[in-house]
Amino acid sequence: MSFYESVILSVFGLGVVFVVLISLSAIIGIQSRILNAFTRKKETDNEDTAPVQSADENNAPDISAGELRLYDVDEKTAAMIMAIVSDETKIPLSELRFKSIKALD
Amino acid sequence: MTYSLTDIIVKIWEMSGFATITWQQLVMIIISCVLFYLAIVKEFEPLLLLPIAFGMLLANFPMTDLLAGPSGDQAGGLLYYLYQGIELGIYPPLIFLGVGAMTDFGPLIARPSSLFLGAAAQMGIYAAFMLAIALGFNPGEAAAIGIIGGADGPTAIWLTSKLAQDLLPAIAIAAYSYMALIPMIQPPIMRLLTTKKEREIKMEQLREVSKLEKIAFPIIVTILCILLLPSVAPLIGMLMLGNLFREAGVVDRLSKTAQNELINIVTIFIGLTVGSKAVGENFLKPETLMIIGLGLLAFMFSTVGGVLLGKLMCWLSGGKINPLIGSAGVSAVPMAARVSQVEGQKANPGNFLLMHAMGPNVAGVIGSAVAAGIFYALFGGN
Repeated sequence: MSFYESVILSVFGLGVVFVVLISLSAIIGIQSRILNAFTRKKETDNEDTAPVQSADENNAPDISAGELRLYDVDEKTAAMIMAIVSDETKIPLSELRFKSIKALD
Repeated sequence: MTYSLTDIIVKIWEMSGFATITWQQLVMIIISCVLFYLAIVKEFEPLLLLPIAFGMLLANFPMTDLLAGPSGDQAGGLLYYLYQGIELGIYPPLIFLGVGAMTDFGPLIARPSSLFLGAAAQMGIYAAFMLAIALGFNPGEAAAIGIIGGADGPTAIWLTSKLAQDLLPAIAIAAYSYMALIPMIQPPIMRLLTTKKEREIKMEQLREVSKLEKIAFPIIVTILCILLLPSVAPLIGMLMLGNLFREAGVVDRLSKTAQNELINIVTIFIGLTVGSKAVGENFLKPETLMIIGLGLLAFMFSTVGGVLLGKLMCWLSGGKINPLIGSAGVSAVPMAARVSQVEGQKANPGNFLLMHAMGPNVAGVIGSAVAAGIFYALFGGN
């Protein structure tokens, strides 16, 4: 193989690598849009069919940390409560799921 | 028949390895000791360099027949049988299975444009290929030398075992040594090609990737890549199977086995057998030095390719992308991504580029497998 042929082949080879990865990039982008739209629709449907919240909850301030809803509780206190629950139950925090923390009168 | 004490001593001497060892074998034993030092004391990719060095040591003792094939009723040597896993292209895809099970493709899914950087960082493969042709290597050998620039050990071993088996030890040792030296090779190039202002750029946090996206990813990549380029099936297929084990969440036992026991066992076999091919007569040649030099150039060109495209993407995005993440496109997971993180933090202590660099980093694994597949499709039949 001559040097000139190797240059042609290299340009072609790098071109194919780009084509494959650009196609992959486009398909991942499309896939993400479709799946996220699907997930959002499912979440909206779930919200529509969810039971009506109690009056107290509806009046609670809209504070949240990720999926965790806090009602009259600041973030520091919530973090402390989660750490205590994890310690008492001997379940790592990463395996526990808190839905909401609400202050009682 | 009577033997004098002298006769017995002479007989034992003649039967020992000391009487028949060649100077090349002695040199190789010394080289294997240097590799032990690098693996154990300097911790240069010890998981692979240690078994490679030991394989090299074992293969260079005279009269052991460890590498001899079967003849007549006589069974072959231990390393001959273990080497079949390389010869038949079995070990590298199994390593990819483990790599897939250990890899989180989330950063790549969150920013698919990372794949462009993974493609640009394969530039070194083709630069080294052209140089190797100019230096007189045949196309198969040049392709195997070029793939060192992909900075992906299993891919380099897979392609070399298919196209240029004689070069396998030199290429494997060069590939793994340079991967260990990435923190020294890349930073000067990264600093040379970027301005301080570019290195200081803070990137926006990546979006969260849903479980469904992560499960769909390996299936889509497998279908698309293998339909486009069937020769990448062994590498991409196993990489994505391992990743599906990880993300599916229903085969934890398989995922853990692929990530631990399987990859460890195969690593022992692959290291030992690659090292065992470094026999003095084949290894101590000027070509070995040329391969090591070309491998270094391949790494450097790949880094240049990634950083330059990173700069282009930085400009096109209006300064939202830090070009330092481009160098991570050379694979070498996660070492290259860590280098981007360290360089970014040197320029701006508040900069956290690691997760952003993981996208191009894992894209580089796919990119180098695709490049290897192209070479195999072109030269595999020769």
